Amino acid sequence: MVRLPYTTALTTLFSYGLLFAFGQLRDFFRKFVDWFKAKNVKGYAPICLGLEDFYVRRLYLRIQDCFGRPIASAPDSWFDVVERTSNDNNKTLQRTSNTTKCLNLGSYNYLGFAAADEYCTPRVIDSLKKYSASTCSVRVDGGTTKLHTELEELTARFVGKPAAILFGMGYVTNSAIIPCLIGKGGLIISDSLNHNSIVNGARGSGATVRVFQHNSPAHLEEVLREQIAGGQPRTHRPWKKIIVIVEGIYSMEGELCKLPEIIAVCKKYKAYTYLDEAHSIGAVGQSGRGVCELLGVDPADVDIMMGTFTKSFGSCGGYIAASKEIIKHLKHSCPAHLYATSMSPPAVQQVISAIKVILGEDGSSRGAQKLARIRENGNFFRSELKKMGFEVLGDNDSPVMPIMLYNPAKIPAFSRECLRQKVAVVTVAFPATPLLLARARICISASHTREDLMKALDVISRVGDLVGIKYFPAEPPKIAEAGHDKLE
Amino acid sequence: MGRRGEPYYVEAAPPVDVNKNTEWFMYPGVWTTYILLLFFAWLLVLSVSGCSPGAAWTVVNLAHFAITYHFFHWKKGTPFAADDQGIYSRLTWWEQIDNGQQLTRNRKFLTVVPVVLYLIASHLTDYKQPMFFLNTMAVFVLVVAKLPNMHKVRIFGINGDI
Repeated sequence: MVRLPYTTALTTLFSYGLLFAFGQLRDFFRKFVDWFKAKNVKGYAPICLGLEDFYVRRLYLRIQDCFGRPIASAPDSWFDVVERTSNDNNKTLQRTSNTTKCLNLGSYNYLGFAAADEYCTPRVIDSLKKYSASTCSVRVDGGTTKLHTELEELTARFVGKPAAILFGMGYVTNSAIIPCLIGKGGLIISDSLNHNSIVNGARGSGATVRVFQHNSPAHLEEVLREQIAGGQPRTHRPWKKIIVIVEGIYSMEGELCKLPEIIAVCKKYKAYTYLDEAHSIGAVGQSGRGVCELLGVDPADVDIMMGTFTKSFGSCGGYIAASKEIIKHLKHSCPAHLYATSMSPPAVQQVISAIKVILGEDGSSRGAQKLARIRENGNFFRSELKKMGFEVLGDNDSPVMPIMLYNPAKIPAFSRECLRQKVAVVTVAFPATPLLLARARICISASHTREDLMKALDVISRVGDLVGIKYFPAEPPKIAEAGHDKLE
Repeated sequence: MGRRGEPYYVEAAPPVDVNKNTEWFMYPGVWTTYILLLFFAWLLVLSVSGCSPGAAWTVVNLAHFAITYHFFHWKKGTPFAADDQGIYSRLTWWEQIDNGQQLTRNRKFLTVVPVVLYLIASHLTDYKQPMFFLNTMAVFVLVVAKLPNMHKVRIFGINGDI
């Protein structure tokens, strides 16, 4: 739920309408200009319909310099962004050898493990020497090392589940697991803003997929009642099983899941719950155990817990944590376990070391300090942005905070101007977000210092004034309060 | 409206519709933008050609008929096919909107607009031929195409599967 001025809604729709109209006009004339170049082979259907890549051709390419920027150093609080040039209006981009040192507000480096760490990096180097960079094998062949077994046990203990299983790629953790858990005759009820990996996993399962309104336990209950009463399509037999899939933190919203209410609804109607903690594991909670710890939910109440190691732990891959029976079933049936190369041993060691730092098992309190710092940094940054008059989505304690831009022209304007001021931000637009709700997504890290945040706030405030994205009145500055105190 | 000088805020909730080709129609301001576009188109025609207001409304009505018939009832698929694995390739925009549910508020709005345009254009042209005939044909085709009975119907296979 976002609030925006009505005139902004009108101008945004008008802007997209104008872009769409001009794109269609150019496509229309392209048919005439290129008709003699047509290479249609008789009897063959076109591989790609003309409409299917309209968005990329006519809208995305115009501002593609604002996306996918290459970097030339580890994504710590400051990093090197490679400069690119274009001589055909962004149709193609050429890298230069120049780099710009920028403040990094775009990486999912929640706990600061993306760069070298005093505890993790030496152990990773040791495991690299001992195990080599890859096992070149699947888990059930020669791809399981002592590190893999240790990490599975450590992950299960960390999230509070009896057992866990590892995968080498975070996206695959969702897209390959969901077809193993449910199939034809089952029902998947998915939050409308779930990640694409969940969407593709749900489609690949063969089960019926229904969507409930984002983070709305009331609508979830409505959908559950309707689907249980109606039964399977055409035959109306009872569903074989029902899985409700939600995320801990929605990466485009910065919003925490309403987990206690959703769990209550699922238990009432005997539906399984699947919790995707890709962003929340390691980033929220007193000891980094995710939204279950933060919201006071017993991990035993969540049937399947999924997470990735790609964000807070500075590594790659993902995990599924559940009961021993479910994990055993996955180990026997999941193609990501049976056929994919296992997770790289140094990457496994990186996660093991990161979790030990978080749990304090490295003999210091750095983990607790990191967690406290990211919570403090995130809440400070969010409150300051709101005071300035930006529309900031998300909840407190969330390290992701989208700043709403709305108009399509403000996406490149904000992104380019911030880069000019040495602040690297990620802008997100349609179709990753709904049409009206383009945004810049700020990700806070525990490695950001207070000076870094103050510099970022100063730059964002100036660019916000320049671009016109302060849609709400700003709070009075503290100088006036100080003056008032002095007068008293 | 708020007090003078203060902007009027609206709230936008993320829609349940996951089809990116139609979800944009769920947001606040879409109906107003639609109506304003028609009004500005009328002003544009009026200022460019200098004809009578009724003739300008007829031009707007016929242009609205041509554009909306092409984009709502003829063109199939979605510009964002990479995300939905082609499940909308055989559906027009009108068949995709509101997940195929009939008689929704948006469908009623889109059905009423051609009728109102027709009434305005016919009334201002004093029901004279041939403008009355053209207006009637435009509104007839548009309203018939929008009826619930015509969901996924291809008369004589016209505009059938690709």
